[in-house]
Amino acid sequence: MILLVEDSEDDVFLFERAMIKAQVSLPVHNARDGQEALDYLQAAGKYDDRNSFPLPLLILLDLKIPLIHGFEVLRWVRGQPSLNNIPVVMLTSSLEEKDRARAIQMGADGYLIKPPTRESLAQVFENGSVKTFPRHDQRTPASEN
Amino acid sequence: MILQKEASSSAKPDSAGLSSEEISRLNSHFAAIIEFSDDAIISKNLDGIIQSWNNGAQRIFGYTADEVIGKSVTILIPEGLQNEEPAIIGRIRRGERVDHYETIRKRKDGALLNISLTVSPIKDDSGKIVGASKIARDITDSKVAAEALRKAKEDLVKANEDLEERVRIRTASLKEAVAQMEEFSYTVSHDLRGPVRAMQGYAVAVLEDFSDRLDARGRDYLERIVRGSNRMDKLIQDVLIYSKLAQTQVDLRHVSLNHVVREIIQQYPEMYTPNVEIIIDQPLDAVWAHEASLVRAISNLLNNAKKFVAPNVIPKIEIFTERRGDKIRLWIKDNGIGIKPEYHHRLFGMFERVGQNSAYEGTGIGLAIVKKSIEKMGGTVGLESDGLNGSAFWIELPAST
Repeated sequence: MILLVEDSEDDVFLFERAMIKAQVSLPVHNARDGQEALDYLQAAGKYDDRNSFPLPLLILLDLKIPLIHGFEVLRWVRGQPSLNNIPVVMLTSSLEEKDRARAIQMGADGYLIKPPTRESLAQVFENGSVKTFPRHDQRTPASEN
Repeated sequence: MILQKEASSSAKPDSAGLSSEEISRLNSHFAAIIEFSDDAIISKNLDGIIQSWNNGAQRIFGYTADEVIGKSVTILIPEGLQNEEPAIIGRIRRGERVDHYETIRKRKDGALLNISLTVSPIKDDSGKIVGASKIARDITDSKVAAEALRKAKEDLVKANEDLEERVRIRTASLKEAVAQMEEFSYTVSHDLRGPVRAMQGYAVAVLEDFSDRLDARGRDYLERIVRGSNRMDKLIQDVLIYSKLAQTQVDLRHVSLNHVVREIIQQYPEMYTPNVEIIIDQPLDAVWAHEASLVRAISNLLNNAKKFVAPNVIPKIEIFTERRGDKIRLWIKDNGIGIKPEYHHRLFGMFERVGQNSAYEGTGIGLAIVKKSIEKMGGTVGLESDGLNGSAFWIELPAST
């Protein structure tokens, strides 16, 4: 299961299509805003059944989403020891190097510029499944690349 | 001491072995010094009665010697400071001096003076303290000057604070403006590009997923949508870069053109042979520049050099530097279609495209960005082209040794 936190239907469509093109067939759950993403990850509200809504293998997080900003969601996720193993990849149309640097510094595992393409998805998927990212507790804070 | 000697009027040689004649001569000598001193020199007995009064005293306090000798010095002391006299006398009785004591005294006409007082005990032959000599210096002028200085300093501090406050307010409003601009840029880059991306994405999806149901015309239309939206996306990005350039402050550093140019070429696979022939025949000089801005400008020029060639011509780009005084001119020379001299002046403007041929795609902002970024670094840009034999664009920046 991949948690795709994205408010634009078009971007959800384009992302899923790029996944198909990249021959990745993992199921995707779309959270439409930051709060919904937090609810999902905490098994709160309509997501209280972990069997139907298992913890994701990957969180794809748009920066500019309603209610809670992508960076805030990222900060929250990285503050949860139980979620430490889940890679978080930021998904954004921002070409700002500043945003990218900040995301990595805040503990994101990657940064995808929208629209995702078959090629750019190779940064995230490998042989049809989520790539192995270095574990957070083994990373030095200085490794920002 | 000498004056007291005169008072005792001894004819005999004193302990220093001076004759009365010599003593008398010395006395008049010292008396002259005292008489013509600028300072008031006054002597008084232990009851505070004035015994002697020089010219300086008359000048400063306005009384003649006749008017004050035999009177109490308290006539010189303003009301409220009358208790100073017993204190001074008390110290004199104990054999102490009062040194450069700054106080206020009153002239005959009632005007108040700032004076500096030095009071020393006068002893008789047996060493007994019999009175005091008092030297008073009028420091009103220096007091006034000091006060004026203090006031000036205070005004300066105040002016400085006002200025700082104004700078603070201006900085705050400027920061707010920059923040708003950044927020605007951010929103533009996110929200404006979203729909464009969707158009492009769906058009590509139709082209790919429904290709079997499209004829050549249908594909052509869709490809035009894709091209149009790509161009729109590029335009938005370029306008953003351009608008940000205007407000970005750049730090200049030593930048090795050798390093930077080779790095740019390596980053773009389309710049590799056999796509392009690039000649850097000798080491390039170093310049003072902001590396990121310079990289953007050079990338832009290299891209243009590669892009604007006649069909079936392999772009050939020569890169070299030329030293011009304390400046370095980086030349990027191509074998492209060239630009007629009459269009040169329009070339670096915003949204200017001097080619009529739509085969050469561009937003018309690229060269405006180049010009702006180079000018931000204190440099200049230009080109040489006759419109037939390629173009030679140049960037000129301060040399860095």
